Order: sequence, then C-alpha cells, then structure tokens
Amino acid sequence: MNTVNILKVLMNLPKSEFLHAIISNRKGRAGLIIVTFFIIIAIFADQLSPYNPWVQVGPPFQPPSLQHPLGLNDVGYDILSELIHGTRVSLMVGFFAALFQTLIGVPAGLFAGYYGGYLDEIISGTIDTLLIIPSLPLLIILVAYLGQNLFNIILALTILGWMGTARVIRSQTLTIKQRDYVEASKAIGTSNIRIIFQAILPAVMPIVMAQMIFEITGAILAEAGLSFLGLGDPTHKSWGMMLYYAQQRNALLLGLWWWFLPPGLCIALLGTGFVLIGLSIEEYVNPKLRSI
Amino acid sequence: MRIYILRRVIRLIITFFVVLILNFIIPRAMPGNPANILANENQLPPETAKYLIEIFKLNRPIWDQFTAYILNTFQGNWGFSYRYYPETVYELLMQRLPWTIFLLGISTITTALLGMIFGIIAGWKRGSKIDSTISVSSIFIWSIPYYWLAMMLVYIFGYMLKITPTSHALTPGLEYDNFFEFITDALYHAILPISAITLTAYATYVLITRNTMLDVLSEDFVTVAKAKGLSERTVIIKHVLRNALLPPITILSLRFGFIVSGAIFTETVFSYPGVGLLIYESIIYHDYPVLQGAFFLLSITVILANLLADIIYMILDPRVRYG
Repeated sequence: MNTVNILKVLMNLPKSEFLHAIISNRKGRAGLIIVTFFIIIAIFADQLSPYNPWVQVGPPFQPPSLQHPLGLNDVGYDILSELIHGTRVSLMVGFFAALFQTLIGVPAGLFAGYYGGYLDEIISGTIDTLLIIPSLPLLIILVAYLGQNLFNIILALTILGWMGTARVIRSQTLTIKQRDYVEASKAIGTSNIRIIFQAILPAVMPIVMAQMIFEITGAILAEAGLSFLGLGDPTHKSWGMMLYYAQQRNALLLGLWWWFLPPGLCIALLGTGFVLIGLSIEEYVNPKLRSI
Repeated sequence: MRIYILRRVIRLIITFFVVLILNFIIPRAMPGNPANILANENQLPPETAKYLIEIFKLNRPIWDQFTAYILNTFQGNWGFSYRYYPETVYELLMQRLPWTIFLLGISTITTALLGMIFGIIAGWKRGSKIDSTISVSSIFIWSIPYYWLAMMLVYIFGYMLKITPTSHALTPGLEYDNFFEFITDALYHAILPISAITLTAYATYVLITRNTMLDVLSEDFVTVAKAKGLSERTVIIKHVLRNALLPPITILSLRFGFIVSGAIFTETVFSYPGVGLLIYESIIYHDYPVLQGAFFLLSITVILANLLADIIYMILDPRVRYG
C-alpha cells in the first residue's frame, strides 16, 4: 500500500477507484513503472542522449566503449542516442493510433450493439471482413502508396485497427442494454443517443481503457514492423529502423549484438509495460481472471 | 448451427470480393495516373507498357477498367514485376507460394498445439508456480517483435552454436538422390523459421485458452461434477476440456492473419524464398505490382484457411454436425 500512496502523491492522482485498481495490482504497478520510465526518456530525449543521433561521431562499426556505451552503427552514429530518440516514435505512433482506433471503434461498437438490426449487420459485417483480411500485407500496400511518414503510418494503423475495440464494445453493449437502469431510462423517455453516451458508455469505460492500452502495444509493434521492412518514416529515428539497418548490414553475421539487441528489448519491454497495465484493468473488470 | 456455417461461408465470399475491390481501388485512389503503376514506362519496356494499357484498358473510363481488371485477375494476368521483368507477377508469386504455405501450415499446427497445451496446464493449475511462469512468459513473448526473435534465434543457434542453417530454404547447390533427402534438408532449414513464428504467435493463444479454461472451471456443472465425488483429473478431462477447447479452435481462424505476418517477417530475416521475402524485396525496389499481387494471394490463402477451419469446427462440434 505504501507504493500506492507514494505514486498517488507523486502523480497527484484523484481518489479514483479505477487508478487505484491499476496501482494496487502487481501487474498494473510493474506496467506503470515501465511505461513511466519510457515516457520520461521520450520527453527528455534531447537532454539524455549523449550525442546527436544524426551526426557521425566516429569511425563506423565501433564496439561499445566508455564514450559510446552501445558503440557506433554502420555510418558512425551513436547507437545509444539513436535508441533514446527512438522512444519518441514508438510512444507517439502507439498512443495516437490507439486513440484514433478507440474514437472509431467505441462508437461503432456502441451503435451496433444498441440499435441492432441492419446497422449491426453492416458494422459487424465490416468488422468480420476486415478481421479476415491479413492486415500486414494490406498495411504494407497502404503505406507504400500513401508515402512513408508518421502521419500516414498512424492513418493506416487506424483504418486497419479499430475492429477489435468495436467488437468488444458491441458485445458489452448487448448485455448492458438489458440492465434495469437502461430499461428504466428508456421508459421515462430518454433519447437513444443520451442512453448510449450517458448510461452505457460509462459502464464500458474500463473495458475501453483496457482495450486502448492493448491497442497501443499492437500499434507499437506494427510501427516497428513496418520500419523493419523499410517502410518507416526516414526522418525520425525508430527502433524498427535501427533493426532494419542492422539486418541490412549483416550485424548478425558480424556479431554486433550491441546494435541489434537493445532495440528489440526496448520494443518488447515497452510493449509488456502496456500489456501489464491492460491486464490489470481487465482483472479489475472481470475478477474471475484474478490469480497471479 | 447449419445457418451459422452458411453465414460464415457467405462472409468469406464477401471478404474475397472486398479484397478484389480494395486491390483495384487502392492504386487508383492515390494521386497520379494508375497507368504509372501497372504500366510504368520507366520500369518496363514501352511495348510492354502499351500492351498492359491495352489489356487493362487503363486509358478508358473507370468501369471499363474495373471489368478488365476482374477478367484479368481471374485469368492470372496480374501485370509484370519491375524488378524481375520479363517475369509476370503471377509466375513470380506461384514460385514463392509453396514455401510460404509450407511454413504457414506447420506453424499453424505447432502454434495451436503448444498454445492449447500450455493454456490448459496454466488454467488447470491456476494460481500455482507453473501458471505464473507460463502466463508471465506469455505476456512478455506477446510483445516481442517476430523479426527480432527470429534474429536472436539466427544469432544464437546459427552463428554462435552453429547447429542450424542461418538462411535459405535448402542447402545451395545440393543435389538430392530421393524425395526423403529433399524433405529432410527442407525441414532442417525450416526448424528456426517455424520456431520463430510459433513462439511469437502462440503467446496470445496460451492466454486465450487459459481464460477459457478459467471461465469453464467456474461453471456450475464443474461444481456438480466435483460434488459427485469425481476426481480432479476426471472432471478436467471429461467435463472441462470438451467445453474449453472449442473457443480456441474458433479463434485459430482469427490467428491466420498473425501467422501470415509472422511468415513475412521471418522469411525476411532468414532469406527464406517465400512470398514474404518477395514482399520485402519489392518494398525496397518499389515493385508495386508485386506488392499488390502478394496482398491478393495472401488474402486468398487466409480465406481458404478460414474455410478449412470452419469445416474442422463442423466436424468437432456435434451441435453443428447434427443441427
């Protein structure tokens, strides 16, 4: 409980039951610490990185040394500085893609679940169809045609990523709309839109949050994947792009572990951080899952 | 339940047409002339470009283009590769497809088996050390990028321990006396790629199976079975597993897309000569016709895999069989 109080004071949190649920859960606490760590690095990337990641600071392929803890890459850039700056792209793409996916997915799920009928057929049909189509090949042609920049990557991830949220919210809405309080508001003549946004939305909010946090992990992995395939934004340092160059320049064959090990670990660690927070919210919503 | 299967099949047919239409719209919705993609005069000889404009009716109204596109797609006229000209996109993809199907097929089976086994164990022994080991490691693996895991496997087993090949699907230049030798060499080269795809794709599967187990374990009929005095083992095998295994099988069809992504990344890392490596090369060379062909082909593969999963589901679930 001590950690909970300290975190609350530090972050000046309101006495929200919801945040308490995350912080008092072991997984949630671990996740929060990991994510906060990376957010701090992203904010202070310029101050924290020892060199400018776009400037050659020594001969290429230098192994780790005191001046360059992770060595230099194929063109003599400091790898640690690249790694620190890469945090920004991952967090930014992850956050915005997940936010836009939620902004589309939640209303789609709410309307499909609440109104049913033809509207549901259309929305659910679209969701099922998009879920069958393999997303990576489609993502690749979208980004290849649209052009490689962060905006287009976020756009493509949004178009292809809102369905998961919509599906979960739809099935939640189906059960919630049969509850007494919703029936009661209907009986006193509350408009459908008001019921959806004032009675149902608050009830599904924890699930929306859990889902959005899972989507952040998905978007971080997807951006890194696109960059690894050579479709990243060339004007920003990203972990995926570091791995792309490491792969292209035979870092594996040459045994340059300091080049290909750290970016992958960072992606996995940041992703795990978000997944842990998401799971802690899920356990709060569905206590059956609580066990570890 | 019959109706359920029928709906699924109709859904798959609709998906096929959506893919067909997306493949037509995407290049045409982009700025510039669609002829620049299929019949690019900078990339292809002028007479070939002319021929393509002719057969795809690229200088006609959009409706004529659409009918020509549909006709050509079904005849296997998917345009020419910029990079491998005079090879056609169709020929190129068909050479690469068997390797990808080989990887996908085996990885799907290993993913499902491993995922279910570990998921069942974790759910059964919930709260125990085994459960937390399986669950926590799955959560971490969930967030590991496919290609990075593949790179680590190549580095450790291929370069450091030197016990597996580091790339390609077969030993270059090797002649085979019989089919057995060929398949042994192919499997030897596929061990690492399949492990990489399986490891990253199975993690979420474990968590899903575990959650289904927990749901079923808290049902009334399980309590009743226990109250009857049945042993823990009998309850799990006779009552829980039957009910807990169907949802993961249904979800398997949703995993095909992930396994395809896994194949694209893994083939890239291993220089494995499948459709995924072709996609990677095509990105570097801006070979748009090949990228579109690959999207179309992989979508059809996934749609067919879904159909297969539905048939298996129908065989396994008596409610569907006799419904």
